[in-house]
Amino acid sequence: MIEIERVTKQFPGHTAVNDLSLTVPDGKIFGFLGPNGAGKSTTIKMMTGILPVETGRINVNGFDITKDPMKAKTTIGYVPDRSDIFLRLKGIEYLNFVADVYGVPTDVRREKIDYYTKQFSIYGALNDHILTYSHGMRQKIVVCGVLLHDPDVWILDEPLTGLDPKSSYTLKEIMREHATKGKTVFFSTHVLEVVEQLCDEVAIINNGQLDFIGNMADMKQQFKEDDNLEKVFLELTQNG
Amino acid sequence: MAKTWKLIRIMVKMQLSLVGKSTNEKLGYVFLGIFAIPASLFILYVINGLISSMYGVLAPSGNESVILGLLFVITSILFVFISVGTILSSFYFAEDVESFVALPFQPYQIILGKSAVPFLTLYLTNLVILAPSLVICGLHSHAGIVYYLYAFIIWLLTPVIPFVVTAVLLMFVMRFLNLSKNKDRIKVFAGLLTFVFAIGINIVIRLNSSETNPGSNLAHLLAEQNGLLQLTTKFYPPAYFSSISLTDPMSMAGAGYFLFTFALAIVAILFMMTTGQKLYFKGVLGLSGGTKKTVSPAKMSKKIQKKNFLYSSWVREMKIMLRTPTFFTQIIVQSLLLPVLFVIILVMDTSGSIQGISAVVNSWQGKTIILAMVGFTVLVLGINPAAISSVSRDGKSWFNHLYMPVRAESVMLSKILASFFINFLSLLVLFIMVCLLKLPIMLTVIWIVLSLLISWLTSIIGTILDLYTPNLHWTDEREVFKGRFIGLLALAVEVIIFAPLILILWRVDGFGGIWMTTMILFAALSLLIFISNRILKTMIEKHFYSLFSS
Repeated sequence: MIEIERVTKQFPGHTAVNDLSLTVPDGKIFGFLGPNGAGKSTTIKMMTGILPVETGRINVNGFDITKDPMKAKTTIGYVPDRSDIFLRLKGIEYLNFVADVYGVPTDVRREKIDYYTKQFSIYGALNDHILTYSHGMRQKIVVCGVLLHDPDVWILDEPLTGLDPKSSYTLKEIMREHATKGKTVFFSTHVLEVVEQLCDEVAIINNGQLDFIGNMADMKQQFKEDDNLEKVFLELTQNG
Repeated sequence: MAKTWKLIRIMVKMQLSLVGKSTNEKLGYVFLGIFAIPASLFILYVINGLISSMYGVLAPSGNESVILGLLFVITSILFVFISVGTILSSFYFAEDVESFVALPFQPYQIILGKSAVPFLTLYLTNLVILAPSLVICGLHSHAGIVYYLYAFIIWLLTPVIPFVVTAVLLMFVMRFLNLSKNKDRIKVFAGLLTFVFAIGINIVIRLNSSETNPGSNLAHLLAEQNGLLQLTTKFYPPAYFSSISLTDPMSMAGAGYFLFTFALAIVAILFMMTTGQKLYFKGVLGLSGGTKKTVSPAKMSKKIQKKNFLYSSWVREMKIMLRTPTFFTQIIVQSLLLPVLFVIILVMDTSGSIQGISAVVNSWQGKTIILAMVGFTVLVLGINPAAISSVSRDGKSWFNHLYMPVRAESVMLSKILASFFINFLSLLVLFIMVCLLKLPIMLTVIWIVLSLLISWLTSIIGTILDLYTPNLHWTDEREVFKGRFIGLLALAVEVIIFAPLILILWRVDGFGGIWMTTMILFAALSLLIFISNRILKTMIEKHFYSLFSS
């Protein structure tokens, strides 16, 4: 579960997130939508401890990310929006490193690395340097790394960008499995079809403020029933 | 042609522009400029000495053209060496290679554009070495205006042929040896080449400096073996043509050779364009690919092992330093350069001075030896490039340390361990030097213990400085070292700490004896490590989590 309470984030000259409050329950896939520069990535960076929370409070699985960061971070699996990291490591070295960070036992990591890298068709490339991977392959290796410690809260920043259709399908399946197990899946995206297919709940952020939170049915009801999500989204964020 | 010219201008502008560079970097260039003045004066002094004494020996027998011939051969060899690295990185390894390939340019146009900056950088060396040499030669031969006119044009043309030869050879190598798949390894190899080159130059200097007057020594050698020079210039005829045209500029032969030199340079450029047109794209395409190795599932399973985080993180740091060509040359090669040079100086000295130095050192008091060795070790380990880049190396990936459930102290400790280990390699080389000096075993052991402490201390100091003022926003790894004075700052801090300590122990007779000195140094180093640890802790609390948002 993720609880965000009255969080504000200011950068010199502008407010990126303004008095944001929302709760993401367990067992749900939560879509975080918004136009470019709306404050999605800033919110995610505060949730994961990359940016400090100066005003307000963020709890991840009951642990305050500011007061109890180690416990909170242990329960999180984070897929950042940029996947060009640790380029000089081989795929297998990267996965071993991440598993060491989260203290995953050898037998568990063997089984998971085997399973997930085969699911995403990157098993054969594990002994190559990440530098030689395509954008999609880099994204996949990061996703595999995050899944090794079976996080209670899975946070993904634009996870589907650059993935081929099969990998995109696999990722969506794994996200669904994860939520079915009672875990939290929180992701930001621009792909509205994915939100429509996948999300149990949606929040729309615009200019750092929450414009909408609820399930898909609520959202459509609030507007004209026959409107598609694209129209609803454009209407909601028209001042963005 | 207009299109080519535009491309050249754009490429020069992109590579040399100061837009977006930090104030520190700009200041760095200013300091570099200021530092260049005494350095060039020194070079001028050395060149003047060499040429004057050679002239004195060779002019009476009418062999002074040998000086010019030798000068052109040496500068050309130097240009080839310098061009290998700059051409490789500009033609093949620059980030923008693929973006230019996609634009509607002919390969020769891209080659000309890409040559601009590496070619211009040759003129820095050209200005410092060849220009003053030609003027000094002119002064000695009381040359007239035609000499200086020819000399100026030949000065402008001299880098052309070495540059073209290097570029064409590299284009062949990249096209036919299929090395592009090992992009990083070639870069590492080029880095090692500079290392060997630096050591090679040192050896040449050492071999030549045993006599009081190196210039006349060399000249005698040349006068005796005139055939050797002819042989050298025969292998590189442009040097011969240039030297003849300058030796007798007023004659028909002089003018003829001058025109020939001029024509040769133009032919060389045309040759490079033609070769580039045929070979360049074939060498470039596929550069972004990499090697693919398949590993059996059993082997893969063996590779998956749980390790302690500290060890895992240290291994990661080491792998990044070893595998990133810039880090490899700037950190590992740089750290080893000085110690290896010292060992070579000791080994190469055929005049028996190793025994001499050994005798002198061994005749000192034990205390003096320890203090001298400590001072020396501080100087060698002081800059510690691994420590001063420990934070900056991560660049934009720094945020990974922030969301992972790992204590900041552990991350920093793994970085300090990595730079301590690199220092340890330098210490191993220094150990060979200590063995060559045949110091008593007890003093050697004391030196080892104190050196390990010094190594740890310099690793912490460098890391603190980099944590305080890191450069995380780089797009090219070279920016981690370029225009930053953090290395000198680290060395300055260490000198300020150690100089008074060593001086006091040296001068004050009350601190006599080996054990007293050792204990004081040991205590001082332990205290300094304790204090710097506290400072590092405070710095981690203050900066570790805010670096990314600043």
